[in-house]
Amino acid sequence: MTEDPALVESPTVVVDGVSKWFGQKVAVSGITCSFGAGVTGLLGPNGAGKTTMLRMLTGLIGPSEGTVEVLGVRPRTDPSVYAEIGLVPEENALYPDLSARRYVRYAAVLGGVSDPDSAADRALETVRLSDVAHRRLAAYSKGMRQRAKVAAALVGDPRILVLDEPLNGTDPVQRSHLIDIFRRMGDDGRTVIVSSHVLEEVERMSDRVLAIVDGKLAAAGTVPAIRKAMADIPYRVRVEADRPRELAAALVSDALVHGVSIDDQVLHVETEDLAGLGRRLAAVARQVDARIVSFRPEDASLVSVFRYLVHRR
Amino acid sequence: MTAATALATMTARRSLTLKRLVGFGLLELAPALIYLLSAANLRADRALERAVDTTVALYFPLLLPIVALIIGAGALGDERRDGTMSFIVLRPIPRWIIAGAKLAGAGAAAVGLNLVGALALAGAYGVLSGSWHLVVPLAVGSIVATVAYTALFVPLGYLSDRAVLLGLGFVFVFENGVASALQGVASLSPWRLGIVALAGLGGSDVVAALPDVALGDLMPGAWGAIGKVVVLVVVSIGAVTLLLRHRDLA
Repeated sequence: MTEDPALVESPTVVVDGVSKWFGQKVAVSGITCSFGAGVTGLLGPNGAGKTTMLRMLTGLIGPSEGTVEVLGVRPRTDPSVYAEIGLVPEENALYPDLSARRYVRYAAVLGGVSDPDSAADRALETVRLSDVAHRRLAAYSKGMRQRAKVAAALVGDPRILVLDEPLNGTDPVQRSHLIDIFRRMGDDGRTVIVSSHVLEEVERMSDRVLAIVDGKLAAAGTVPAIRKAMADIPYRVRVEADRPRELAAALVSDALVHGVSIDDQVLHVETEDLAGLGRRLAAVARQVDARIVSFRPEDASLVSVFRYLVHRR
Repeated sequence: MTAATALATMTARRSLTLKRLVGFGLLELAPALIYLLSAANLRADRALERAVDTTVALYFPLLLPIVALIIGAGALGDERRDGTMSFIVLRPIPRWIIAGAKLAGAGAAAVGLNLVGALALAGAYGVLSGSWHLVVPLAVGSIVATVAYTALFVPLGYLSDRAVLLGLGFVFVFENGVASALQGVASLSPWRLGIVALAGLGGSDVVAALPDVALGDLMPGAWGAIGKVVVLVVVSIGAVTLLLRHRDLA
């Protein structure tokens, strides 16, 4: 067992000190991690560097620094490894004039699959598109297009499946079905790497999570471990009241409160106990005869949570 | 069907949309129609001269490059813009086969369209003069020039979003401007390679009918032109292979 939660025992994909910059912009910075059998979620807010990371894993872009190896080889120099990689990119990557069957069959032929017709039929059946496989992709909904892309990625029966926000645009039923497929593939011993900016999605799909923010590895480990790390983050609460200064003066010495500031008659209060602060605030407001207009956490977004994790590392 | 055949077929198919077939098809018939209207009452020797004039003024330096440019630049450029490049490159196919198949598909589509124009013009001359001896030279010249342009424009389309603009600049500024004025650089002009092949196969009466600006200091000869195009194709496949290996697909 490795001690670093970013690394796995028998890796199929190894990322070693990888950075990527585009001109002055650093997209990924010094990430070392590995992936093995099972589903690994790549979690992070939009613009965190997940897509850049996945593109480097598949060799679509080369790292500015560091190395990426898939099954022991660098994909950019040895394309034979692509027989073992299936990618569902975030962008459309579809030929709208083709039917889903022709699209998936085309993927099978390009992948060197021996019986492309049967393979395409199986892949379409897996994503439940068989009934509409004759229809042009242009007529598909976004969710159906996502499933067509998944079918094209599965058609070569790859050992490594890389999925960039694969659930975008899918309805809850489709979502649940796709998650089942990914989990099943992970359980079969394949390496499934799936990115998402939604923690709940990643939680349903993955056993292991790598959290990325601002191009850096913010956290790695099991979903419960990541959740616990996130639970320690202090909340910042925005309070609107008719007597903000009196309220601030009464709150500043309270044990539940880490800090208070006033900005344009609005109170910003930091606390680790959101529910406790809510109760205390009501009591304090009565004491100073203030009326609370609104009370809401202002930085519960994934971005701020991840930022906190990065700074803490 | 092999991966290379599938890639080439798909490229040709995407290049020949219904809109393009109709639009380019009509455009390809324009030189023949103009020739028919302008040469209807001419003697046989003047009819040949007019046919060669039409070829040199309209077909080779104008129509043929535009068709090859639009189709060649789109072979990889459209895939890049549409986000489908990853669909192609993440396959266990050697990069030079991808490059070759793309070039073959785009080349076949462009040659097919440009042959319509060449054969229509040769046919129009045949109808007026009763002689069909321009059919093969014009067809070969058209194929040579179209393949040469495709070999140039496929990598250009992958490299730049402004490939069509750059290509038009090359054709109109360099080929039809600089290379017409400076005979020493005429060999860098793909449509003149087509004229070289046409002159080589067309015989002395075609060579005599050609204006000086068409050949520059080039010597007529189909095999020489074909040889140059083969070299150009090999260089183009090499360039695209390197781009596919080393250029980021951002």
